[in-house]
Amino acid sequence: MSSLVAFQIFGVDWEFLKPYIVLGFALGGVYALSGVGLVVLYRATGVLNLSFGAIGAAGSLISWYLVNHTGTPNWLAYLVCVAFGGVVTLAYGVFFGPAFAARDPLVKMMGTLGLALILLGLMAWRAPVDASTVRILTLPTSSWRYQIGNVYVTWTQIMALGLALALTVGTTAFLRFTGLGTAMRALANDREISATLGVPVRKVEAAAWFGSGLVAGSAGLLLADQLQTLDYSALTFLVISALAAALIGRLRSLWATLVGGIVIGLVQALLTPYLSISAYRGMTPFVLAIVALLWLARHRVVVISRTAR
Amino acid sequence: MKSRRLGITAALAAGAVLALLLSAYASGSGTVGSGKASATKSVCGLGNGKKAKGAPIKLGGIFTLVPGVDFTTIGKVAKAYFDCVNDNGGINGRPISYKLYTEQLKPDQDAALARKLATSDKVVGVVGSTSLIECAVNKNYWKQKGYYVVIAGVPGECFGSPNYSAVNMGPRYSDIGAAQALVRHGAKSIVIDSPNTIAAYANGGALLVAKAAGLPSKSFGENLPITDPNSIVQKLVQAAGPNGGVILDFTPESATPLMQAAIQQGVVDRVTWASSTPVADDALAKQFGAFDNGRILINSEFTLLDSTGPDMTLMRQVMKKYTPSIPVQSFAQMGFLVGKVVTDALLSIKGPVTKASYNAAVLKLRNIKSDIWCKPWYFWKLPYHIPNNTDITAGYKAGHVVQIDGCIPIQAVDPQLVQIRKWEKQYKLNTG
Repeated sequence: MSSLVAFQIFGVDWEFLKPYIVLGFALGGVYALSGVGLVVLYRATGVLNLSFGAIGAAGSLISWYLVNHTGTPNWLAYLVCVAFGGVVTLAYGVFFGPAFAARDPLVKMMGTLGLALILLGLMAWRAPVDASTVRILTLPTSSWRYQIGNVYVTWTQIMALGLALALTVGTTAFLRFTGLGTAMRALANDREISATLGVPVRKVEAAAWFGSGLVAGSAGLLLADQLQTLDYSALTFLVISALAAALIGRLRSLWATLVGGIVIGLVQALLTPYLSISAYRGMTPFVLAIVALLWLARHRVVVISRTAR
Repeated sequence: MKSRRLGITAALAAGAVLALLLSAYASGSGTVGSGKASATKSVCGLGNGKKAKGAPIKLGGIFTLVPGVDFTTIGKVAKAYFDCVNDNGGINGRPISYKLYTEQLKPDQDAALARKLATSDKVVGVVGSTSLIECAVNKNYWKQKGYYVVIAGVPGECFGSPNYSAVNMGPRYSDIGAAQALVRHGAKSIVIDSPNTIAAYANGGALLVAKAAGLPSKSFGENLPITDPNSIVQKLVQAAGPNGGVILDFTPESATPLMQAAIQQGVVDRVTWASSTPVADDALAKQFGAFDNGRILINSEFTLLDSTGPDMTLMRQVMKKYTPSIPVQSFAQMGFLVGKVVTDALLSIKGPVTKASYNAAVLKLRNIKSDIWCKPWYFWKLPYHIPNNTDITAGYKAGHVVQIDGCIPIQAVDPQLVQIRKWEKQYKLNTG
């Protein structure tokens, strides 16, 4: 009710904005899902996975190929997409994770950028974006929909939001109440001490890589449906919004990441109908991430010192 | 023993008869694009079925290839036509060598590619270029170097320079055609959406059509690739209002997610949709049955894709043999027409084919007929060219692109089009 009043105060028609709120929640759900996947991996391994979007894009392209060219049942193709995310991410983590373990976070991140570029190259080679191929991957849940006023809400949209929420709740509980979760939290605090205390570092990291990869695959599927396209570059750069959500959560808080992702999706969608600012809505993730970081750092004391020579 | 010998003899005889039949069939079917050109049959170049040898005649073009926009289809089909010409005697025995370069919307890259074509590749002609920025970047360079470029044009500069003549009408005039179709079919408003890079130019004509018809209108632009089709579709439908009209001015890669979003959002029936030429494509018609029966009015700058005219028949044969992976579509028609008019210019040259002789020949092209166009085409000494300015309206039906309205002149809401039509009469450029 208060939101209704607020809209009236600013002279904005609630009915006019309703579709964008629905669409914003759906898109925000995918951003939040991806953001949470990024944060979980970062907390366990210290790696900010920039190949997150590319892995989801490659998985959804494989899924599309299986459905349209091999007659694979849809459910199996979707499963392959999710599994592809898990396996590729796990493989990267197992082979390259230990080598990067002692390096700076920036170096670790650049390693994943390498994986993203390799995947982008492979997709450009095998699935080039061209005018002659129509590639659409629509989940069956998108044909199940119901109407609220002038707006259709699909089950995929509900699923995107629900999955983000479930992942956040599940991961929070997992990290708090399970042995593996506790080990992940220990790794996040200090890898060396955890290893000394007998935490099986490689196994715990592998589990984090695999779990994060499964989320990447799922997010790829959902985003391919929401974006109505299998344009690999558009899907790959999902990582920008997810990254912004993770930054809003300061790469630590799953709940703040969830909220950050949803807010990014909402703001982006709500800016769409306003002609004067619509063209700049792509800036939303960056602007919100910067605002959030400045806000969160407002009580920090900055010490500037000069060392005497 | 006797019966076995008889069997072998019979088998040999049958084999010989089969071989004779096969060779007769092979000689009867001939090379694609060969034979004698007539009112009912088109051929590739000389059409003599002989492979061209000798020093190649070098041509080249520049094409945009970025996520959301792929114009290389045009170049690939032009190349297919040149390959067909090369298999049919070439240009008086010399083959055409055609180089395609791609650009990623970087002006410095476009400028560098133009210099590479002119000074390093030493092409005699620049041919087929289709880009969102190339005309703006290189128009002065081509003028300085004396190149007259047959293109498929996109931004305004392609239709505002003496050195370019496009086989298509480009987004602005195609959108005017789409807006005219919406007015004819009773739309109560006109909303138009284009890529941001060309929106200011492309959308303006449709808004003028709306103004002339006394309809409300609104113009939008989108950054590519499109990352939120659902919101965009909602925005367009809301802006158009009940019984309004929405023009989508995108290439298939970007139009597809918008059309799919319209289906998923359940808004296909809320407005009448319209589009510029690129979505006149059977692959899209098959995918988007929800837009059948007049739900989308496509301004088609060319004849229908399943038309049986001589050039369209040849185009399908050429594509089947030389570019089998590319479906028959409007971009393919552009590529085919580029190939055809450039070959006409090359074959009209008396004496050696040089940069000077080719570009002089291009400047004398007028009344070039094809069943793919509504009216003949030209490239003349004019301050600018808009030779394709009459079109048909198409739509989707049962997986095919079908004609809704016949050839209709693009409404002269721009003074440039008024002037062009005066020049056409004055110089008899497309009088047939």
